[in-house]
Amino acid sequence: MIVQELTHIQERCGYLPDNELNALSERLRVPLHRLHEVASFYPLYRRTPPPAVTVQVCRDMACHLRNADGLQRDLEALGVEIGGGRVEVKGVSCLGQCDRPVAVVVNDHVYRGLSDEELRDRVRKGAAGEPLPQQHADRAPLGWKIDPYNGEPRYDAVRRFVGDRNGDAILKALEISALRGMGGAGFPTFRKWSAVRGAPGDIKYVVCNADESEPGTFKDRELMRRAPHLVIEGMILAGLIVGAQKATLYIRHEFHEETEVLQEAIAHAEKMGVCGANVLGSGIAFPVDVFVSPGGYIQGEESALLEAMEDRRGEPRNKPPFPVFQGLFGKPTVINNVETLSWVPGIVLNGGAWYRDGGVNGATGMRFVSISGDVNRPGVYEVPFGQTVRDLVFNTAGGMRDGQKLKALAPSGPSGGFLPPLLRRENLPPKFVADKMGDAATLDLLDVPLDLNTMAAMGFMLGAACVVYGDRADLVDNAQNCAEFFRNESCGKCVPCRIGSQKLVDLMTELRRGEFRLDSERSRGLVPLVRELGETMTITSICGLGMVASNPVTALLKHFPEELDRHLPPHWRGNGAAKEHAR
Amino acid sequence: MTAELVSLTIDGHAVQVPPTTTAYDPQYKKNVEVPTTIYDAALELTRQKGITNPIPILCHREHVNPVAVCRVCVVEAGPPGVGRLTPACQRAVEPNMQVRTAETSPRVRDSIKVLTELLLADQPKSDGPRSGENPNELLQIAKRYGVTGSRFPAPARSRGRDESSLVIAVDHDACIMCDRCVRGCNDIRDNQVIGRAGKGYSAHIAFDLDQPMGDSSCVACGECMISCPTGALTFRSPVQAAPWKDANPPAETVTAEVLAKHPLFDGVATSFLQWNQGAVVRRRFRKDDIICKEGDFGSSAFYIETGTVDIFLKSPVKHVKSDKGSSGAVNHGLFGLIRKFTSKLESRGNDKRDEESTTRYIPIDAPVSLAYDNPIAQLHAGDIFGEMTCMSSYPRSATVRATGDVTVLEFQRNVLYILQRNKKSRALLDESYRARAVDTHLRGVRLFAELLKDEAMFKRFVDFLRPRVELQRLVPGHVVFRQDEPADHFYLVRLGFVKVAQRRPGGEHVITYIGPGGYFGEIGLLGNIPEIEALALPGIRTATCSALDHADVVRISGDDFAHVLQEFPPVRDHLVKVAIERIQENEAIRQRAQKEQLGEFLKQGLVSAQSLLVLDLERCTRCDECTKACADAHDGVTRLIREGLRFDKYLVASSCRSCLDPYCMVGCPVGSIRRRNSREIIIEDWCIGCGKCAENCPYGNINMHPFETGEKAAHPITGRMTPVVQQKATTCDLCQGLPDGQPSCVYACPHDAAFRMTGEELIKQVEGVKVGGSSSR
Repeated sequence: MIVQELTHIQERCGYLPDNELNALSERLRVPLHRLHEVASFYPLYRRTPPPAVTVQVCRDMACHLRNADGLQRDLEALGVEIGGGRVEVKGVSCLGQCDRPVAVVVNDHVYRGLSDEELRDRVRKGAAGEPLPQQHADRAPLGWKIDPYNGEPRYDAVRRFVGDRNGDAILKALEISALRGMGGAGFPTFRKWSAVRGAPGDIKYVVCNADESEPGTFKDRELMRRAPHLVIEGMILAGLIVGAQKATLYIRHEFHEETEVLQEAIAHAEKMGVCGANVLGSGIAFPVDVFVSPGGYIQGEESALLEAMEDRRGEPRNKPPFPVFQGLFGKPTVINNVETLSWVPGIVLNGGAWYRDGGVNGATGMRFVSISGDVNRPGVYEVPFGQTVRDLVFNTAGGMRDGQKLKALAPSGPSGGFLPPLLRRENLPPKFVADKMGDAATLDLLDVPLDLNTMAAMGFMLGAACVVYGDRADLVDNAQNCAEFFRNESCGKCVPCRIGSQKLVDLMTELRRGEFRLDSERSRGLVPLVRELGETMTITSICGLGMVASNPVTALLKHFPEELDRHLPPHWRGNGAAKEHAR
Repeated sequence: MTAELVSLTIDGHAVQVPPTTTAYDPQYKKNVEVPTTIYDAALELTRQKGITNPIPILCHREHVNPVAVCRVCVVEAGPPGVGRLTPACQRAVEPNMQVRTAETSPRVRDSIKVLTELLLADQPKSDGPRSGENPNELLQIAKRYGVTGSRFPAPARSRGRDESSLVIAVDHDACIMCDRCVRGCNDIRDNQVIGRAGKGYSAHIAFDLDQPMGDSSCVACGECMISCPTGALTFRSPVQAAPWKDANPPAETVTAEVLAKHPLFDGVATSFLQWNQGAVVRRRFRKDDIICKEGDFGSSAFYIETGTVDIFLKSPVKHVKSDKGSSGAVNHGLFGLIRKFTSKLESRGNDKRDEESTTRYIPIDAPVSLAYDNPIAQLHAGDIFGEMTCMSSYPRSATVRATGDVTVLEFQRNVLYILQRNKKSRALLDESYRARAVDTHLRGVRLFAELLKDEAMFKRFVDFLRPRVELQRLVPGHVVFRQDEPADHFYLVRLGFVKVAQRRPGGEHVITYIGPGGYFGEIGLLGNIPEIEALALPGIRTATCSALDHADVVRISGDDFAHVLQEFPPVRDHLVKVAIERIQENEAIRQRAQKEQLGEFLKQGLVSAQSLLVLDLERCTRCDECTKACADAHDGVTRLIREGLRFDKYLVASSCRSCLDPYCMVGCPVGSIRRRNSREIIIEDWCIGCGKCAENCPYGNINMHPFETGEKAAHPITGRMTPVVQQKATTCDLCQGLPDGQPSCVYACPHDAAFRMTGEELIKQVEGVKVGGSSSR
């Protein structure tokens, strides 16, 4: 109960005063250091009284591309102008509003797509103690294939299961569908559910990971708001099939409206009897609830998420053991992403082949993609797996903004680094080159089908984020921006990530300050040092964050040596030098 | 259950281990079976082959549960040359696992080197460990893998040091967040103080709610220091044995090994005692030897091992009384009348003063109080005394004399600090307090004085409280409670001082300091008593109370306190009377302060002054007759100095101004100085003449007045028998007792430039308002 209690104090007092923590420590019989460990870890909590207005400007990827830095400085200046310490302006990690940059939180309100003047008005209002206007988002269904009910919560899949109790049939449908985890790792859903179903133990849990925090990713936000009944039905089905006792949806705290929609939808589902004390008269109790995250990107890592639910610092666990065997409170646990669970009702009702055959260009299945950056129509789209980059950027997303040329694409937010429009043969795995490239020296990125298998064969990651950079973008600056994101969000548990992510930023700063000197031994060693550091972080970190934190910088060295050139001393410039040093 | 052994290879060497091993689970405080790890298997191999363990560890130790955060123990357990590495300290063994360590895998070796470089980049420049410290394990790993420096940039900022603890220094720059101190504190010792705070690169170890270590609930057990691999937690200062160089009887050093077996030191880490070697000595006294003398300065405390001592006040329990001289009060002199007092010592019975304490017991720095009528008591084996002198350098409060052969342990502050924080020693000392001292402590509390008239009732009272009192040791600055917080406990001060302050316009104002024998926290608990109801909000603290120094307080719960009020009416009556006076007085000051808002004036404590000596500088010729007259009237010792603050044309001469912050009261070892409700100072009869209050008074308004006690003793230098002189503290007495009722200073002024007036009257003067009878009194 520590997290909920702290959240409650934070809401009541605006921060966590010592005397409240002392009282809580006595009441819960928990040592003070345990409370402070948790209180000082999560960004939702503050330990000092808040000023009249707190302003948090998103600093990542799409917002960074739209000069979030400049906006933050302007708002800081406004704060100084208002004076009296009434305004506090800080940067904040991606708020999941990348389709309408720059996202800014003013007190508890998340604003997106506002003009500078509108934002200044909000800050002034807040400083004067006036109430701030709510910015509402559309909740209407959009006719997606994923929703067999088109917005009407019918829970037919749960009804069918309660009718025939045929869990094997549902697992079979999942197997045929080849549905994979949509949170980034792509683990086959059927295997995960089967493992938990087969794991010994009376107590099992279902957790839905709705802590969508990867910069550039905001598809779950739309799914939860426009079709909340799907993820709820997915959780109920998972629970009934694996024999779990309850399901919890873990949602990031900035998703106020989505939390509200989900809570209403759960209440409605309980009223319909599809979850709660007695599921459709079956005698099975299966409650579903919402756990609001106290914040932080790392909570999206599944074991860190479990740690938060268990009232500890949200630090990833060493794995193995994996959560399917030792998850929440040490019990077997299904943890699935919102979208993964949301596809399940459709697969149950329409059959596994329906989903599988939704793919194109030899790929299977469908997915939601969030596209942002320098495109004309940023947003969330339901697309087939295997769609080419060309189709996604130029048809789905309406082409490049302001007629810019495509300079780079981040297919997995910051985690996968940037890919160039022309991929050099020497930068791709030999097997892929032999199989697919023939004699060609380069591969056009626009022709690449966006599918997990193809991307993996190329040595890339495929996430739900697709951030597009036009030719005006400074990639060195943007790579540093991504490196800073990982530094900011590292939990600090293991050495390679805690110190490594900071040193990467330090090295990038050194590079951009023009401190590379041809005659200096240190400078000569810098590029190899970054590569060594990246390798060590990737193979020794506890979790995925440390594994990928060096990707933005190492991908820059690998694919964009000419971008690096501009920061090198004159003698080093030109194709050869930087490339040689990058090797 | 005998499980089959698991076979695996480490660098090609086959080894077999059981699938689980026994480990201690701190959460459930019992042994549990946990999976055998790769590191365990490597240890087994090492034992069998007699080779060096190929796997280095930094955040792991065999006796703690693995956390696998430093990653220097990573190994390859999958196919060679690809995939991620796994931490040997945490990863469970699996059948037919093929483990490759740094010995056979270049990837593992390179990773360890990069990790070491990362850690080294953030380490402070060091001169190497001091003697007695653990070797730096990070540097050992660096040496083992040939890492001579770091290619990574050093951090831009220092993470800071924390030297608030008397015994342990924290260097956050050297901390690598290995979690070993955290597990030592919480899992091994179950002290529950250290945690990890913050996040990411700014994560750091923290005590309680991230307090300085010395202000936290740290018990100074030393486990964290012993656990630390990089010297981020170190012993603060080695002890010098110097204080006992010339001790008589001589001081015998007690070794750490002997102390470790001593019941008093049970639970204190031996290595900690080793570092403190020389800070504890054993001394053997014979009958009538003086162990310490009241008023002396010192820095040690005593623990009686064998024998019995007398503890007593040698100074006469009397106060200074100024009387008309026996030769007849008034003589004619140069300026007319010269007035003269004879100062002599008087006791309570013969000279009753306003608001004089009626307590029959005097609190001292020992687990007894002394009777007013016969200030002597005995301490026995197992008693500790001199704690206040030791912790806060106050003068000794009483004289201690051996009644036969006595052995004591005498120790310095470091050691007492550890004892007070070590759970077992504290339990021992607390038990001794509860068993014997609680009775005499309660006798020494003014509040309970009335109860003593009925010994049976007092016994019932003590028996009720004995099992219910809770001893708390406070570090300087510790806030016991804050103004406006809900009230739940009542407190008695046993040792040390507690500051009582209120928020008022213009900042925080100290109302008083409460020393040994005092009490606080009653007003918040009296709110539902009809007489108080109208004056204070029930259940709400009216002031903030915090420890001024190392203070021992006794806590009584609100419920038990309510029971006392109900069952023991004299306590209730006294308490209500004093509480009403306290509240009204505070309220009056608050209102005056609000009305007047004279910043500097207020700060200097003049508003509340009852009788200022004010000199009109336009008339004053600086002849100093006022000072001379004061000296003449008081056996040649002046109680006023013609210096002070100027307001307009008025000089407020230095004489007791009943400051808002009565700093003089801090440190009186016997609690004989306190305020009357009118806020002036009264010095109780049991002043031992140590001079602490005179030294504390920022205005020089307390003076030490020597008296002959009538005894004679050998002069320390000449050896001649000379009269023994006893000092007593005095403050301005307004020459009360002289025939015309005028203070001598005012009387003596030949220029009509000296007046006595209240603070309020002075303000009105300065503001130009005529006040009739401005030379009041």
